[in-house]
Amino acid sequence: METKNRVICPSCGAENLPGTLFCVQCGTYLPSGGPLRTEPLPEQDGEETYIKPVPETMGKTTQRTMHLEIDILDTGRKAILSVEREILVGRLDTAHGIFPALDLTADGGLEQGVSRRHARFYTRDGTCFVEDLDSTNGTFLNGERLTPYLPYAVQDEDTIMFGTLHVKVHIYNE
Amino acid sequence: MATFAPQEDYYAILEVSSDATTEEIRQSYQELVRRYHPDSPKGNTYFFRKIRQAYQVLGEPSRRRAYDQQRRQRNSDSTLPFTWDTKLSRSTLPTLTTSQMLYTLVNIRPQSTEPVGKRLNLALVIDCSASMKGTPLHYVKMAALDVLKFMHPNDILAIIAFNDRARVLTPSTPARNRIAFSSALASLSSAGGTEIYQGLMAGLEQVRRYASDEYINHVLLLTDGRTYGDEDRAVFEAQQAYNQGIYISAFGIGEEWNDKFLDDLARAGGGISQYISSPSAVRKVLREQIQELNKSIAHKLRLHVKPADGVQLQSAYRAAPYMELLDRTLGNVLKLGRLVSEEPMAILLEFIVPPRQAGPWKLAQLELAAEDLGTGEKLITRQELKVNIASEVVNEPLPPQLFNYLSRINAFRLQENAWRALDAGDTKQATSLLEAAATQLFDMGYGELAQAAMLEVGYIARGGTSTGRGRKKLRYGTRSLSIPSIQQSRRGNHGN
Repeated sequence: METKNRVICPSCGAENLPGTLFCVQCGTYLPSGGPLRTEPLPEQDGEETYIKPVPETMGKTTQRTMHLEIDILDTGRKAILSVEREILVGRLDTAHGIFPALDLTADGGLEQGVSRRHARFYTRDGTCFVEDLDSTNGTFLNGERLTPYLPYAVQDEDTIMFGTLHVKVHIYNE
Repeated sequence: MATFAPQEDYYAILEVSSDATTEEIRQSYQELVRRYHPDSPKGNTYFFRKIRQAYQVLGEPSRRRAYDQQRRQRNSDSTLPFTWDTKLSRSTLPTLTTSQMLYTLVNIRPQSTEPVGKRLNLALVIDCSASMKGTPLHYVKMAALDVLKFMHPNDILAIIAFNDRARVLTPSTPARNRIAFSSALASLSSAGGTEIYQGLMAGLEQVRRYASDEYINHVLLLTDGRTYGDEDRAVFEAQQAYNQGIYISAFGIGEEWNDKFLDDLARAGGGISQYISSPSAVRKVLREQIQELNKSIAHKLRLHVKPADGVQLQSAYRAAPYMELLDRTLGNVLKLGRLVSEEPMAILLEFIVPPRQAGPWKLAQLELAAEDLGTGEKLITRQELKVNIASEVVNEPLPPQLFNYLSRINAFRLQENAWRALDAGDTKQATSLLEAAATQLFDMGYGELAQAAMLEVGYIARGGTSTGRGRKKLRYGTRSLSIPSIQQSRRGNHGN
């Protein structure tokens, strides 16, 4: 029982007291702070939420605004989003400066295993991509688990699962 | 014997001024008794009782004196030159079988922006060892003359030059006497070694001649070299001076000076240590320092942490206006030095909290003492840290300000630990800590400092040693990351 309460640093393996936010040995951020929260959180800075975009493809890229209708099947909520650069999917956490465009907190995101920074959508040359941001419980496209940080093309009517939360994506090109 | 309540304003009740004579008070009392006696048409039992109570205190000179004294104390509490509050990383802790970590941020915010009207009493202690020869000494002379322009004519300044021994160029003299300073500075030349203790003692001696509550007493030490064998004595003297209300700040020029020693000296002396990478920046740094001294509103700040049984204060850092590990020679009494208007101070405390059963708990008491520079009053205020221990885990957001400070202190601590490891000869540990520091710095958006850290990693990996420049750039660069908004104006790292 004793060791269960300890926070093991994922980077150096040092044991930290519960509630510790930065590993005493190597300084790695321990967002769980012990048996209090569950998911890893790569963001360090409290203010910044911008994620570096994938390198621009050479040549002419036609950046067109896309509209996504995200149908959250578990709750029946529909969210309509326009993708200009990218949109973050996750759970709102003002304390860490995480403001996802698609906030799944109200849809039971925490219980369904949605990370605060779970995944992102973005467009390239008229195609919509989804990329998992190394979320704890994974992102699934039509039932297949995505490798973190790799873009996958999304088609109209695809089903995506963030953790165990199901959504259906409708794409409207302008 | 009638007791009294200092929160009651008996003077107002008796409709007299606070400097009324006993006879005036008696007359007013008799008038009021007639008006409010329960038997009279306008009678009011409550008022009548209050009036009687007030007169029992003010009508008796010895009781009145005691009451006056208590009221003054109360009033001084309400006119603190600062406000302060605390933020906990969690307000509810789960019942665990192990100890747990709790972070507390103490914010001290200056209230008054009015100058306190104190004059400065300074000594400028200049290193004139052989290494300062030529351009560096020239810049320092220019800076010293420039300082005079920024001082009030009635401010006091002494200039001391030191190498192996100290020479008083100008004894403590009012700043309006510019000729005395400029002719003395003209005679300054460089030779010999560096013995900081000698210079420091001569500087303190000059400042002591005028040292009083009427002045802000400060020694400014400028050096580019290392002192050998007299470090401990110098730090001891700094401590003594601090207790007399004389502060010491230390400025290291170039790369050769001993950063650990100057930090210790400034910390013991209640001042600040700064890195001046190029002699041409001395002028700017000194000017800022004089301006800052003029904005002091309180000094002798002390935070006394009184943890409950079993609670341990693991470490204490100053988080703003610059970062440092606080001196623990006095145990849980933390010396915080001066409070400057418009520069909020933040202190981060790390507590180890033992297992405890559910229920509310007073974890610690914080006592903040200070001396108001304007009125000379000694102020003491207290706050309690309370948490709730609950059998279930409660998810609560971390206060963003606490997180911001904590992540910066984390980077600062990593690189400090790296230098300590390197000094102890553990290059492997040093490089891995510096790499970790670089990662954190990079994540926070301080690319330049992250790069400096990685450069040092390379040097250490190849030659087993770091560069003085890189080390100082990192140390004094990270410590001034405290507040993003004022980061530009208050770099510890001047003149790149």
